[in-house]
Amino acid sequence: MAVQLSFAGFAWKNLWRRRLRTLLTLGGITMGIGAFVALVGFSRAFEREWLRIYTNAGTDLAVVETNFINTSLNESLDSKIRAVPDVERVAPMIFNLIDLTPDVNSLVYGWQASTYELDSLTFLSGGRFHDGQPEVILGNLLADDLKKRTGDTLPIQGTVFKVVGVYHGGTALEDGAVIMPLDQMQVISSMDGKVTAFHVRLRPAPPGESYDGYVKRAEKEIEAAVPGVHADPAADRAANNGLVSMAHSVAWGTSTIALLIGILGIANTMAMSVFERTREIGILRALGWKGWHVILLILSEATALGVVGGLAGIAVGWGALRLLAALPQTASVASASISPLHLAESMLIAIASGVAAGAYPAWRGAHLSPVEALRYE
Amino acid sequence: MSSPILEAKGLVKSYDDGRIQALRGVDTTIEAGEYVAITGPSGSGKSTLLHMLGGLDTPSQGTVLFRGSPLGADADLDLYRSQHVGFIFQAFHLLPTLRAVENVQVAMLALSQRGNHRAERATALLDEMGLRERVNHYPNQLSAGERQRVAIARALANDPAILLADEPTGNLDTANSANIMEILRGIQKRLGMTLVIVTHESDIAQSAPRHIRIRDGRIEA
Repeated sequence: MAVQLSFAGFAWKNLWRRRLRTLLTLGGITMGIGAFVALVGFSRAFEREWLRIYTNAGTDLAVVETNFINTSLNESLDSKIRAVPDVERVAPMIFNLIDLTPDVNSLVYGWQASTYELDSLTFLSGGRFHDGQPEVILGNLLADDLKKRTGDTLPIQGTVFKVVGVYHGGTALEDGAVIMPLDQMQVISSMDGKVTAFHVRLRPAPPGESYDGYVKRAEKEIEAAVPGVHADPAADRAANNGLVSMAHSVAWGTSTIALLIGILGIANTMAMSVFERTREIGILRALGWKGWHVILLILSEATALGVVGGLAGIAVGWGALRLLAALPQTASVASASISPLHLAESMLIAIASGVAAGAYPAWRGAHLSPVEALRYE
Repeated sequence: MSSPILEAKGLVKSYDDGRIQALRGVDTTIEAGEYVAITGPSGSGKSTLLHMLGGLDTPSQGTVLFRGSPLGADADLDLYRSQHVGFIFQAFHLLPTLRAVENVQVAMLALSQRGNHRAERATALLDEMGLRERVNHYPNQLSAGERQRVAIARALANDPAILLADEPTGNLDTANSANIMEILRGIQKRLGMTLVIVTHESDIAQSAPRHIRIRDGRIEA
């Protein structure tokens, strides 16, 4: 039975003739896509968890200092914000990332004992802390990591705190966090009289007014009542707070570098391949192949590298996310799931990388003179 | 009376800003179904003339007419080569990663023919060349004579009107040379194709009814 030759089969044979080089190139693009899937997936999971904190607590707005990534506001602004008619509740808060042990770092929140945000937590043991006391409550994930129970003590930044409760929150960020009285957090963070932000719950939207329109109006009212502050909708604050912004920047920066290395790998492979196959391209042109046939062949080879590298990269990235979700240091903010959008983005980037890397070698191959190419030794 | 299938009018081919002239004004006419041998010393311009006639290269001056129409821009040359011309080279120029049957099909990919038609035609052509048992062999598993027969099958793949052979027996021993020439003459007679052969070998040149001699880029009288 005679073998049938297809265009795709021809492209595949060309890649397979240099197996080692093809596999090394695939390794490069796999690492690039794997880094993108893992790092960007990690930073997006972090953002989603952050948004869920606001959603679970019923926070509509976060009031922060204008033009600062790490904001610091006077606690005394509380009353001015409370005076805005559409504001129902105000929760001043501080958050920071603190090393609890050499192996475990955690988000630490400073909240008032009376804050509405505590209402969304379910206590598995113990109960709320008291303002003015060196007391903390621990998320259940963190309590497991630290092997702490209600009644134990926990040293943080040189102060010994008593664990008065272990809770389960709606998000991994909360379950991996420590919450202590705001005044205690101000002391250990050297932020006397200061807060990171005020979380605001609005009164129910008036009938006939959309939620988004209502929140926009409330933002403007707060910014007018308290000059120098910025009121952010919860979703924006989740996406743009300092930690999430930094996570996004690091993820995109690192994966872009990894992707560039992968793209250069494909470009090098395709350029070498066209160089080595100069005479073969001349033969194809002599047989009547048009320039665009040659372009299509070389781009098919480069795109195939992108597609296979992309699929392998997604598998590697997914594996890395599962690992991050299992490690105690990152379990509180990592999620092992990859969204369909993230998968589509990864494949699109992989294919685009293949096409971009193959473009110049393809153009060069198509513009070889058939006679010169046939004479090439 | 047959009509010209190829006409060369005042062909000049120069390189290196005109310092080297491979062809210096060549005029010739080749009739449809004719068998023509082009001979001449090394560097005389015979391969260059064959490349011009086959649309592989373009002249610096002058024109090649195919059935009365000038060969024009690059795109037309691609179409001309794929539809009307079959090339056979001294070095066979088979693609090493493809089996014999795939090497024949690769010529048909340019014309977007259906996959099963390509495979059937390639197999039939190889069968005609006496290579039925070798269709799935790679070039490095074939003898020199077999490789050239695969190259002839490939040249015939798109049913061209013109077969252009550049020293087709240059890499073959006497027995294989005779076999290849017998195949080419048989095809030319049976299919009424135009066959133009560039050769150094006098007995091959003598076998052609018409003989064009080139020296220093000009046709000798």
